[in-house]
Amino acid sequence: MTDSPRSSRTEPGPAVAVYGLTKTFSVPLHPTRGIVAVRDLNLRIEPGEVYGLLGPNGSGKSTTLKIILGLVSPTRGRTEIFGRDSRLVESREAVGFLPENPYFYKYLTGQETLRFFGRLCGLRGAPLTARIEELLELVGLTKARKRRLGVYSKGMLQRIGLAQALIHDPRLVVLDEPTAGVDPAGSREIRDLILDLKRRGITVLLSSHLLAQAQEICDRVGILADGVLVCQGHLQELIAIESQTELVIADASAQLVNEIESVISRSNAKLIERRKSTTTLERLFLEATAKKDEHESRMTKE
Amino acid sequence: MTNTEQASTVQRFNPSTAAKAHRAFSFGRIGAITVNTLTELTRLRVFYVLLVFALLLIGSSIFMAQFSFQQEFQILKDVSLGAISIFTSLLAIVATARLLPQDLEDRTVYTILAKPVPRFEYVLGKIAGVLLLLAISTLLMSAAFLLVLYLREQAVIQATLRQMSGAPPEQIADALRTIRSSALNADIFPGIVIIYLKACLLAALTLFVSTFATTNIFTIVVMAFIYFIGHLQATAREYWLQEHSSGLLTRVFLAIVALLFPDLQAFNLVDDIVAGTAISFALFTKTALLGIFYTTIYTLLAAFVFYGKEL
Repeated sequence: MTDSPRSSRTEPGPAVAVYGLTKTFSVPLHPTRGIVAVRDLNLRIEPGEVYGLLGPNGSGKSTTLKIILGLVSPTRGRTEIFGRDSRLVESREAVGFLPENPYFYKYLTGQETLRFFGRLCGLRGAPLTARIEELLELVGLTKARKRRLGVYSKGMLQRIGLAQALIHDPRLVVLDEPTAGVDPAGSREIRDLILDLKRRGITVLLSSHLLAQAQEICDRVGILADGVLVCQGHLQELIAIESQTELVIADASAQLVNEIESVISRSNAKLIERRKSTTTLERLFLEATAKKDEHESRMTKE
Repeated sequence: MTNTEQASTVQRFNPSTAAKAHRAFSFGRIGAITVNTLTELTRLRVFYVLLVFALLLIGSSIFMAQFSFQQEFQILKDVSLGAISIFTSLLAIVATARLLPQDLEDRTVYTILAKPVPRFEYVLGKIAGVLLLLAISTLLMSAAFLLVLYLREQAVIQATLRQMSGAPPEQIADALRTIRSSALNADIFPGIVIIYLKACLLAALTLFVSTFATTNIFTIVVMAFIYFIGHLQATAREYWLQEHSSGLLTRVFLAIVALLFPDLQAFNLVDDIVAGTAISFALFTKTALLGIFYTTIYTLLAAFVFYGKEL
């Protein structure tokens, strides 16, 4: 298979469709009272896009994902996955799911975990074994395959979770807070894996409250607040400031910068800010830790 | 893992490995959950503690005070079958009580049910894992019991042969026949099957209670009540029928009570085996069918409640 998106597998309809979804949880001993987790939600996620469902804790993100996956029933409205009602078990053939802070069976090894989930998806024998090998390699856990999950780090658990979500080669991957509690290096690996899924044409629906990361990977986002979708659209359109333009110039002399400023001052435009470009804290962290690893390995060799 | 490494791996992805078309019912999926449940339960310390304790109790019967050999065999059967019955029942309740709440607490249930796995298959897989564990435990304990019984029988035969060394062969053959008939007899096996079915019933009932319980402790406490009421309900029912007319309303009421609190005393055939009373085929069949009926009903009820459960 090549890196090209799987156009043959794309459907004419949306990957996920949510129509007028409302979920009210009843309060024990108060049958007339209820807590509204999601209110009249409408969503349409196209095949091949990465959609970020954003919002603070308790905004209804996880409930929405659970309803889409058929784990929770809606009070009103309906959800569909590739045109199939998501309450139907067969709609989950097309879905891989990684829950928030997943706890798998600690007594199983990474390899056994993938075998278990593969068998649940109807995979058997040599194709399953081959698939397990591919996924362990993909998520970088080939060396840890025989280790029990009880000794896996948080990042490793998240990666094996992603591998089990992909075991049956789904067309839609649903990720609930995929990088919660993972260190920057692990977080970056998961981000790269998500971008990789996108490149292969797999639709990704993720919930997160880590906005910087969502900004890096999402095509479209929807923002939930108290169960209501308050904002939705293409990320670049939502965050672009139409009246402003940024120029990033490398190796510019002070004279050149002054000339640009004087051109701006002679026009109707206004210079808002002049500053040195900065790297991100994440990049700084990754470079610093990578340098330390390099230094240690050199010392070991010497 | 570098991006280059990832890209090279991704190219080997092969959609042909995708699963076959979805089937509404799959023994493969149930089998996967069953094997996993069995693995989970055999990792529990409580399983080994109960098993070792039961085996020690059965083994200790070999040193029991000896009166006549008939009394010795009776005590051995009584203690051993009693131990098998109590420990399989305890194991059924303790092992099953934690299965669903633990999966819910650990959120492993989300990952499983987000796959194309119907909820009733999940419940069936869980109960099948417990029943398999109970079968293994019952077999191990029964094997230990039969070994002890055989060793004691051989010791008594050797002692009798030494004592009757000068007696006529017919007299010796009669004595040996009496020893063998008081030791190992065919009624022990249906008795063990009934003990196993009682444990299956308790496991299915525990699974049903755990579908609406919030903690393991709640399930275990409820099951302890049901266990004791279940052993007393036959007596209570007879008393009730003596005091009240056996009209339709009474029958319906008693049927509901019988469903909520199964007549566990009906599964107590140990006394008959110890006393040497033969278990009739009709009694065995009736009791076995009752056990299978209750196990099926409770499993279906558990599946029904779990089907509508908000996860």
